[in-house]
Amino acid sequence: MNLKRRLLVSAMAVAMTGLMPSFAAAADTIAIITPSHDNPFFKAEADGAAAKAVELGYDTMVLVHDDDANKQSELFDSAIAAGVKAIILDNAGADATVAAVQKAADAGIPSFLIDREITASGIAVSQIVSNNYQGAQLGGEEFVALMGEAGKYAELLGKESDTNAGIRSQGYHDVIDQYPDLELVAQQTANWSQTEAFTVMESMLQAHPEIKGVISGNDTMAMGAWAALEAAGRTDVIVVGFDGSNDVRDSIMKGGIKATVLQPAYAQAQMAVEQADAYLKTGSTGVDEKQLMDCVLINAENAAQLETFALSE
Amino acid sequence: MKFVTVTALCLASAMALSGCKIVPDTAENDATPAADASGDAARIEALLASSYDTELLPHIAAKAQSVATLRGQIAADFAAATAEHGASGAGAGAPVNFALKDTGTVVASKLDSRARTLDLDVDADGTADVVLQLGPVVRGSALRDVAPKLYDFTSFRDQIEFAKLGRALNDRASGSLTIPEGDLIGKTVGFTGVVPLKSAKDKWLVTPVALEVMP
Repeated sequence: MNLKRRLLVSAMAVAMTGLMPSFAAAADTIAIITPSHDNPFFKAEADGAAAKAVELGYDTMVLVHDDDANKQSELFDSAIAAGVKAIILDNAGADATVAAVQKAADAGIPSFLIDREITASGIAVSQIVSNNYQGAQLGGEEFVALMGEAGKYAELLGKESDTNAGIRSQGYHDVIDQYPDLELVAQQTANWSQTEAFTVMESMLQAHPEIKGVISGNDTMAMGAWAALEAAGRTDVIVVGFDGSNDVRDSIMKGGIKATVLQPAYAQAQMAVEQADAYLKTGSTGVDEKQLMDCVLINAENAAQLETFALSE
Repeated sequence: MKFVTVTALCLASAMALSGCKIVPDTAENDATPAADASGDAARIEALLASSYDTELLPHIAAKAQSVATLRGQIAADFAAATAEHGASGAGAGAPVNFALKDTGTVVASKLDSRARTLDLDVDADGTADVVLQLGPVVRGSALRDVAPKLYDFTSFRDQIEFAKLGRALNDRASGSLTIPEGDLIGKTVGFTGVVPLKSAKDKWLVTPVALEVMP
């Protein structure tokens, strides 16, 4: 078991920075656990957190759970065994993560959550999430305007275990459903995945060739949908995403995808590390556990100012 | 007889189900709507019934200032005005919410939309100072975020439930407004509401909780 753990840690800790003599003797290390860095959003988070941690004098242990709650649980075991001082986490499921965070708390290790909430409070020290509802309403309003308040459209949903999938869909619909001439003809999950979105979009197009727009729960799915639309010669379809990735920024600037909503991922991760630092030094973050960060609409007007999930003034 | 058996079975299964329902241990959950999203509507209705008239409206009324007073405070020092008179909701980047009570003249109106608005001139210079959003589509969550002690994000299950509260407050407020028929340009309108501001340069988009069109 112990050997397996060590192997796992060595395999996962791909981006360990600083000098650590051994895991057991980790003096002041912060673990940063996120979904796979294949999605640039999570890479930006991990990079933002790691940069701030190093700046504040910590070593880092950067791990990915690949949206697998079992793997996440093992990573928590590894981080606890390594004696990390705090865990920065973008979690692998709102319900499934409660036990993992509790396990760390029982071991005296505070967790600071970013991007995604868990369904319990009082276990993590901080939960800092983007105001997905506010952001989705911005995206929804832009989509309504782009659609001219009428026409058939499809929706790509995120991963069901992630609260953010539900809240974004709700934010979109609280706006879009107010317009009776906008008709939802297809709604399906693509699990935040670009490749899944490509396949889902292909079958949606076959079933509903008349669609005029696609609203997507995130940018990677918007990129997958756009690739399928391009392959089918349907670049007339209006696509709106969510996240504010550089990929979608580039597509917007080339006249492809029309809009997205920026989540301040980099700043959010940095804020979590600052709160962890304050908590470790003073025993308090000085702020409420659950915190929202407002999102910003990105379209052709301001896309050029966007870089790695941050907007320059 | 058969009927009795079926009823007994139903009762038994209902009891078995309710026996394993997990409900957060908070005061407003005594009536036990389900803790998951299926119970949101009932829980939020109960929360509105126990807080809107008795706590939120008095809170807004107590904090309300005139447009001119608030404008002066903000121009002098936005941070000080925020600390003294505003509430910034649950986190970073969010606007600061200020309660307002004032009277103005309608200089523009949009009443044929799902998002109806009235533009009011409150300082008699002929230009609009505030825009009142009359619904049914109301932007933002100013009514929820003006009272962060009353509606504390941490005590909600997740963003979904918290967002539903924001929507329910907007619906309740816009549903309570009576807007007379006909052209309102030139009419005098009194209002109480909340304005969310990120900086002194923002347009003032007010979510009213009370509105009176003078004859």
